[in-house]
Amino acid sequence: MELPIRVAKGSWQNWLGRLVLFGGVGLFMFRAVNEWSRSGLGLLADALIIAIAVTGLNLITGYTGQLSLGHAAFFAIGAFTSAMLVTGKVWTPFFTDNIWTPGWTFVAAAVVCFLIGMVVGVPALRLKGIYLALVTLVFTEAVRAALKYEEFEGVTGGATGIKGLSYLPPSWTGLDGRADLVTWFFWLSLAILVVVSVLSAGLLRSRIGRAMVAVRDNETAAAVMGVNLFTTKTLVFGLSGAIAGVAGSLYALKLTLVDADVPLFGLFGSVTLLVALVVGGAAQNWGPFVGAMFYVFVNDFARSVGEDPSNSVLFGWLVDEGTKLNGLGGVTFGVMLILFARFVPFGAVGTMRMWRSKAVLVVPRVPLGSGGGPSEDVLGESGAMSAEQAATNIDSAEPPGSSDEDPPGLAT
Amino acid sequence: MSLFLERFVNGLADGSIYALLALALVVVFRSTGQLNFAQGEIGTMGAFFVSTLTLSGLPVWLSIGCAMVLGFLVSAGVERIVVRPIEHRNPGAVIVALIGVFLAVNQLVAMIWGVDARSLPSVFPDDADDFVTILGAPIRIARLGVIGVLIVLLFLLWLMFNKTKIGLGMRAVANNQESSNLVGIRVGSVLVIGWGLAGAIGVLAAAMLAPSAGLTGTLMLGPFLLASVAAVLGGLDSPVGAVVGGLVIGLTEAFIVGYVDFLGADMLFPVMLVILLGVLLLRPSGLFGTERVERV
Repeated sequence: MELPIRVAKGSWQNWLGRLVLFGGVGLFMFRAVNEWSRSGLGLLADALIIAIAVTGLNLITGYTGQLSLGHAAFFAIGAFTSAMLVTGKVWTPFFTDNIWTPGWTFVAAAVVCFLIGMVVGVPALRLKGIYLALVTLVFTEAVRAALKYEEFEGVTGGATGIKGLSYLPPSWTGLDGRADLVTWFFWLSLAILVVVSVLSAGLLRSRIGRAMVAVRDNETAAAVMGVNLFTTKTLVFGLSGAIAGVAGSLYALKLTLVDADVPLFGLFGSVTLLVALVVGGAAQNWGPFVGAMFYVFVNDFARSVGEDPSNSVLFGWLVDEGTKLNGLGGVTFGVMLILFARFVPFGAVGTMRMWRSKAVLVVPRVPLGSGGGPSEDVLGESGAMSAEQAATNIDSAEPPGSSDEDPPGLAT
Repeated sequence: MSLFLERFVNGLADGSIYALLALALVVVFRSTGQLNFAQGEIGTMGAFFVSTLTLSGLPVWLSIGCAMVLGFLVSAGVERIVVRPIEHRNPGAVIVALIGVFLAVNQLVAMIWGVDARSLPSVFPDDADDFVTILGAPIRIARLGVIGVLIVLLFLLWLMFNKTKIGLGMRAVANNQESSNLVGIRVGSVLVIGWGLAGAIGVLAAAMLAPSAGLTGTLMLGPFLLASVAAVLGGLDSPVGAVVGGLVIGLTEAFIVGYVDFLGADMLFPVMLVILLGVLLLRPSGLFGTERVERV
């Protein structure tokens, strides 16, 4: 049999592959819940929350190509929205006593962050690359400063923040209040991650999704083809921010407090999200999950290296007397990031996909009876041709035998 | 009036430090098209190295010179060992690698020199009575010295870029790497020298800042952010823009902290955001940056 094996998209072999992948991840999750220690499960929940935020970032940075270092701001705004609503710090016309059920604050955080994200998307119409990254980075720090500002203390709690949040599992889950709090947040984060991932995959298959990729690949060409840059950028920035905001409110409820000095709410948070995205693989649907897992667990591993007393024999000569080796963990993590960028430049998922495509290639299904060429029926049904269809037709408008994309299933 | 003048000079002095750092960022951006996230941390490391050397008895100016050589070597090494081997210069991967360098250098400094704050002697007379009175305002000599350092460095850089062969090579590479390669410029060496130069300038900025700000592991974090704002404000590929941007940011900071009580130092970044947006929405490539023309 000749490699790579070609598998048609949507065929039973394709579904089998997906089943194995999802089954494996599901099995891993179940084992984690039943066997891991509480701190390990807490880390896993953190990783899932970061994965949700990175899924949001992936939409704008991965698929639309707008480099954003501002998603920690949405994360923080989501967190503070939840905290303010749960503790009744702001007046709201709904929900008696001004105190919201924590679950509903996710929706509020999403709406608030969506609106702010639309506004942040407007500068993206003019700015590109590093310029946009820097503006969004300053936006992060500006939001953090505003959350800390003493004039707003009545609402945001100022420098002390808001404490005493709680989100106990509802009774129908069968979880036991405070004892199973970590398990509850783990399942909640997993559920939200799955929902968000499915929604974002759906978005990418829609008209907007095609427009996003077109904007990333060549903005001018996309505009000429009739993609509305204003709508696409502001809408995707809004959606992306909304997802990061939901992750933020989840994080706040898990942490039980918010204040502007939580590391993930500032510059460090934006950098964390971007690193997780690139390490996992930008514009890959599994990228955010893999990247967040990498970030959280490799960071934890690096810290354990730093705290291991046996390593002081190796590095003790470097260190001033009296100072501990606490920096070694950070150095280890930094070096691992450098190595990762060197040897896995397209992210874990992107690289794995490249390796896999040497053995198994998933190719689009060709309509029956078309013999590899363009099918009249397909074109006739849709009426107007989209730019992408037009491009495909030009590519395949050659004698069937000369095309290097053989009809799937026929390759030997 | 005297208070205004004092604040003005202090703002210019802080602005000079931002301008130095922004210059370093611009030199790297022109050669590699990347924002060097590790710029500030390499500077911090250099400042700690200065502190070690002065404690062992070397004069301050000589220690700064040695530390600048170290900064040159480290930064050049980052280009050669970390950035260049990355496949196709994939921008995302380069950013992650530079964030890795940032973390590693930051934590290495904490490992070697500890986390306690130190004081660093200034290269200029910096005792309590070392000031000159201009129009009734007491201006510290050390602050004037920082502005002087910026002016001297600008002159040297101008000489290097415009009067030497290596400077010509750097301008050519900034303009078009492939063509430079074709006409026989060693692009690799030019990149290494450019990054090294930026590292040395970063160390100089840190050594100028540390005597007044106190030497800690987070010395350059805030200044790095403000310097990147300055570099973007002026245009990432324009040295003139970096200097103008740095001085504007320094003065803005001094006047906001000094005169606008309800904002103060806490609300610096919201103000920066407004300034940045105001300038960039009118000129998307910064005040002095070259606008990119795209062809489809």
